[in-house]
Amino acid sequence: MTTRVVVDPVTRIEGHLRIEAMLNDSGHVGDAMSSGTMWRGLEVILQGRDPRDAWAFCERICGVCTTVHALASVRSVENALGIKVPKNAEIIRNIMFLTQMVQDHVIHFYHLHALDWVDIVSALKADPVATAALAQKVSPSAEKASPGYFRDIATTLKKYVDSGQLGLFDNAYWGHPAYKLPPEANLMAVAHYLEALKWQKEIIKIHTVFGGKNPHPNYLVGGMASAINLQGDSAINIERLNMVKDLITQAKQIVDTLYIPDLLAVASFYREWTQIGGGLGNYLAYGDIPQHGISDVASFKFPRGAILNKNLAEVLPVDPADAGQVQEEITHSWYEYSGGKTALHPWDGETSPKYTGPKPPYTQLDENAKYTWLKTPRWKGNAMEVGPLARVLIGFASGHSDFKEVVAAALGALKIPAAALFSTLGRTAARSLETQLAVQWLKDEFDNLIANLKAGDSTTADTSKWEPSTWPAEAKGYGFTEAPRGALCHWIHIKDTKIANYQIVVPSTWNASPKDAKGQHGAYESALLGTPMADPKRPLEILRTIHSFDPCLACASHVIGKDGRKLSEFLIRV
Amino acid sequence: MMNGYLDFLREPAPILVLGLGNTLLSDDGVGPALLDQLSSSAQRWEGQVEFMDGGTQGLALLGRLSGRKALIIVDAVKTGAPPGTVHRMTLGELRGANPGRRGSAHEGNAGELLAAAQLVDELPDRLFVVGVEPKKIATGYGLSAPVKRALPEASKEVNQLLTQLC
Repeated sequence: MTTRVVVDPVTRIEGHLRIEAMLNDSGHVGDAMSSGTMWRGLEVILQGRDPRDAWAFCERICGVCTTVHALASVRSVENALGIKVPKNAEIIRNIMFLTQMVQDHVIHFYHLHALDWVDIVSALKADPVATAALAQKVSPSAEKASPGYFRDIATTLKKYVDSGQLGLFDNAYWGHPAYKLPPEANLMAVAHYLEALKWQKEIIKIHTVFGGKNPHPNYLVGGMASAINLQGDSAINIERLNMVKDLITQAKQIVDTLYIPDLLAVASFYREWTQIGGGLGNYLAYGDIPQHGISDVASFKFPRGAILNKNLAEVLPVDPADAGQVQEEITHSWYEYSGGKTALHPWDGETSPKYTGPKPPYTQLDENAKYTWLKTPRWKGNAMEVGPLARVLIGFASGHSDFKEVVAAALGALKIPAAALFSTLGRTAARSLETQLAVQWLKDEFDNLIANLKAGDSTTADTSKWEPSTWPAEAKGYGFTEAPRGALCHWIHIKDTKIANYQIVVPSTWNASPKDAKGQHGAYESALLGTPMADPKRPLEILRTIHSFDPCLACASHVIGKDGRKLSEFLIRV
Repeated sequence: MMNGYLDFLREPAPILVLGLGNTLLSDDGVGPALLDQLSSSAQRWEGQVEFMDGGTQGLALLGRLSGRKALIIVDAVKTGAPPGTVHRMTLGELRGANPGRRGSAHEGNAGELLAAAQLVDELPDRLFVVGVEPKKIATGYGLSAPVKRALPEASKEVNQLLTQLC
């Protein structure tokens, strides 16, 4: 008999990511389906609008990743119209991007993913003195590691738990046999969870400085809206830049003395997860952090490329403008294409929803029919994984020395081979390793900005093609970035100064995509195959792998319900 | 033009009116829409009140709660009442809206934000939610008719609260 485990919502609120996993007799996942249960279709909202306004709509696609969608959007318009942004704008965009990446990855680790590995309730049993000893061993340079500090944390936690609800920590699988950390490691992780929570509200001020406001910082087609005057009072001046510098120093400290040591410490208890959750073995990155303009791909700090079949000896070239490379299929997606077409490059993309699934609420989806609102992006016909692991592997395989160094250090510390990276734990580790690089690059980009300003260049935008009268009657462009969860690209078609077509392929569409015409699984589905489950009623193992991708299908509604608890129920059907 | 650059360096206004919701999901955008109405009369509160469009930012808004005496969240509130019903809730009533375990790092929601504020001991002393029952939470720009009709009443609720608090 096949047991079907349904996890819905994997993301908290109605209508997002749903996973159905079919267990075989030995209690392993034999087949899996990933479904996005809510139609988004922002493309339809953008049609007919002014391309210069698109970024402000795109910024609202995602709850947290405001900057990456705005960035991809302005880049698509600039690409279409042949606009080259000034040096300062390139650097400021890099600073905004890296700030987002560092903040997002740290938050992902402590506030989402750690709870898959750390048992909060067990932390209450920890001895503060032993915890202090452990913390000093794990990270000798951590600022706070005294027994008194951990005693206070334990008191705070106890008070919070005793208040009658676990609040942020509710609805996990406390006491699940797959949790392995000793109580002291759990308490240390809780302490750092709190540190990260307090820190993340500071780092984001960098967006306020350069984006003019936060949330929802300002972007601009042609550059950035940030006015800089080192000696002035009303623009970005030296005082504000010094504050940014302090925030970057603080971020580096959090990453180097908390995030990386904690990741390595937690990983050392879960080495078996280097054998689970690998999945496709195909990786794609568009790359980002240009040093000499967006068209100079070779200058990117995050290199572009594709890897197939875990072959780290070859990084294949990628071109978002090539109609034969990125295509979206719809074999198992609730859409229809005109004229019975089966796969379209995003410039020719169509967004025509056609729901043929069961009437909600339903108990199961049919893996042989259409089963998701996500389209099915493929690269040269291959299902691809995008995100931190893809970027780190492509950086490593491209021979970039900074990638090689951080990867070698982590593999050495955990005493595991490079092949261990193709796994759930590898994906989680890759996220921390690229954060280590990102926070260093953030510092470098800041230094670049100061050097450029001191050299007398304070230009932040090129507005020579601002007026639609300067545009051609028709133009096509694409704008890409490496969002925290992976390769993101917006494709735009401008006609008579308005948006004729706009297509977005977000990272989670790559990763959460369904099977394609050839029956190839998407990245989540593939990564779940073979996963052992200790207790199907509490599918912690599924969550570990799915969370290692940092799913983002929500990007959305957060309606307050009278009973929020009910919304976060995991439905298990056996 | 430079308004806003220094906002976060100043002493925060004692009362924050925080609009939450996604403007690209029809009635989920009622929070920001309400905020637009309210901020037109913002000057009458003379620096006592800050109006902020929080979108769906969730935890990233934590820093903006620090140092506030009172917080009024304006948002879509789904209870099963007829669309356009205006709800007014206090912190105690909100406790039922437990945030639960997040499935994604990208699920900004009020419950989670408040639970985090409580954990770091930065929950404002007084907390209210003024919400409107949505009709449609689905891709689309703009509010449904019943929700649009509820804006004046919801706006009045917020202004009454502000009068009491200021």
